[in-house]
Amino acid sequence: MDFHRPARQHPLGVVILAIQFLIKGVQSFWPAIVGVSLTQLDWMTLLLIPFGISLGVAWAILYYLRFTYWVEEGSIIVERGVIQRERLQVPFAKIQAINLFQGPVQQVFGLTGIQVDTAGSSGSEFKIVAMRRDAAESLRLMLAEHGVQAGEDQNSDPVDASEEDGLQDSTHAYRGRTMVDLDIARLIKVGLTQNHFRNGLLGLAVISSLAGGLEHQIEAWLSGLPAPIAALMAAATVLLIVPGFILMLLAGVGVSLVTTVLRYFRFHSEIGKQGVFMESGLLRRNTFQIPFDKVHLTDWRSNALQRVLGFETLRIRQAQAGDAASGVGVRLAIPAMEPEHKAIMEEVLYPDLSQGVAITGRPVGRLRWLLWLAALLPGTVPFLVWSPWLACAFAVFWLPFTGWTTRNRYRAFQLTVYQDAVVLQKGWFWRQRVVLKMSQLQGVEWKRHLLLERRGVGHLTFHTASGAKRFSYLDRETGFRIRDWALNQLHVNR
Amino acid sequence: MEVTVAANPELDLSGVPRLEEVEFHAVSRKYLRLRLGVWGGTQLLILAAAVAPAVAHVLTEDPEWAMLSQWWWPVGVQSVFALLWFLEEWKGFPRRGYAIRERDITYRTGWLFRTTTTVPFGMIQHSELVQGPVSRLLQIKNLRLFTAGGSGNLRIAGLDEEQAETLRAILETRTRKV
Repeated sequence: MDFHRPARQHPLGVVILAIQFLIKGVQSFWPAIVGVSLTQLDWMTLLLIPFGISLGVAWAILYYLRFTYWVEEGSIIVERGVIQRERLQVPFAKIQAINLFQGPVQQVFGLTGIQVDTAGSSGSEFKIVAMRRDAAESLRLMLAEHGVQAGEDQNSDPVDASEEDGLQDSTHAYRGRTMVDLDIARLIKVGLTQNHFRNGLLGLAVISSLAGGLEHQIEAWLSGLPAPIAALMAAATVLLIVPGFILMLLAGVGVSLVTTVLRYFRFHSEIGKQGVFMESGLLRRNTFQIPFDKVHLTDWRSNALQRVLGFETLRIRQAQAGDAASGVGVRLAIPAMEPEHKAIMEEVLYPDLSQGVAITGRPVGRLRWLLWLAALLPGTVPFLVWSPWLACAFAVFWLPFTGWTTRNRYRAFQLTVYQDAVVLQKGWFWRQRVVLKMSQLQGVEWKRHLLLERRGVGHLTFHTASGAKRFSYLDRETGFRIRDWALNQLHVNR
Repeated sequence: MEVTVAANPELDLSGVPRLEEVEFHAVSRKYLRLRLGVWGGTQLLILAAAVAPAVAHVLTEDPEWAMLSQWWWPVGVQSVFALLWFLEEWKGFPRRGYAIRERDITYRTGWLFRTTTTVPFGMIQHSELVQGPVSRLLQIKNLRLFTAGGSGNLRIAGLDEEQAETLRAILETRTRKV
């Protein structure tokens, strides 16, 4: 396929662009739309609807006609913009991630979109919303192949590399051993082991925002009742706490299942010589290819339920575009990673994990008491709300319970440093394990306030291209040893 | 992480260079003047805001708002924070400094809240010398170092112009070498 001549997107892209512009328009003007539809609904305002739609379509056609892309001397160039023209030139070597996606519209027409992300200020991302599947695949292969080659060997001119060979090679670069493959049963397992509590709160927030007017209706209804009955009703709401909690959990399970199916439907992942391949999604199908050298951080998470099933969720973090605080980095998750998958992954990404531990670190004992103190604070709330006896009874339960959980949480903190890898572990019910490479570190920071300094304690922060990771309450001697080791290995391993 | 004993040889850490042994270079004394100026200006503004209700009360003499005449409460609270901030500036300034090794640059700040950040030259994407109008009067410059992802960005403030240029030159040669 020839990408060297300027080309437009697939003609059906007009439809997709029009829909996107209309959705964007509704999103940005919805307060005005709601306001108008509530107050003055006459013929003139109704005429605005076809006017808006035709404006969106006209804009989509213009945008389509003015959007061209081509490949030139090792970069991909995009010219776009209806009124303000923009020319983006992204060298292959700067490309962090290439993502194929199929939204509902693309799936209907059998098309695919391609999204290219870069890191830092060197360029910004762009999307081509409609391409034929085979064209998108070969463009992706071309970008990925040249990008990886340029990354490995700065001397070779990426343009000289034979294109045909490159295409054949790179099909194997990201494919090979199948890793996680979700059938319906496993998909449901993944859904059932999500954080239902959080999802329940999310669902509750959505419901309460939708049913905003309901409060007033209940209030009006209550004020209509005779006073003794209303008081009785108010007292009876206490009885609703338990069923309400169960309802919230059920809602949480529902939200978990729906979001899991939307996100991980027909999830498939493979690992090849140069990187990881994965595709998933129901309405919007995403296809990712992540080269190993663009992985800046791996984050393993599991809760107690998932561990019973032997599942762990792997989040792969690539370099963030722009400011770290904005958190725009490319985030990919592989659910239901089993121990064998984990072993394969870690062997490829961090071969030094099997070569022996250099330094281990654990937080100082003071952290345990601080954690307990923080956990005890919610236990004081009943003293303000309930009768003293009830509150005391609660405290008798809460004190040992938090003491036990805090002990487990405190014991879970562990920092392990290898030849090139750093492993930060924490969490007891929700367990987290972050692995990063010292050769990719952007900086190391030692932070403490005056009182901690007196006690020789501080927090060690590892700055990576995909955000900072901190290990708190480390004693100074260990902290300095790890810092010196990291700053040394950074150069040794590069 | 499960590491078997057989596959767990001890690594030699004795040869690793130690960061705490390096010498830190102080930034310009003129920068202390700038920081104390900012402290003084802010304190004056807050003081004005703290005393304003009492002054208003004296002018209006409304007996209902008698509690406003107790100006010492807001001023007392402010003076505690002002003192802490002043200590942070005064005791923290001598601690403020940078150190350069063969392959990295370290910046240290703070007395109450202390940070020591090290950034390897090889990871610096680009650097910027910034001089605002007040800095121009005092003839000092601020050096900003940018790393990928932005999490490790470093800002070394209050360098003498000459010092800043030297640092920039060192940075340029080192960054290229790595």
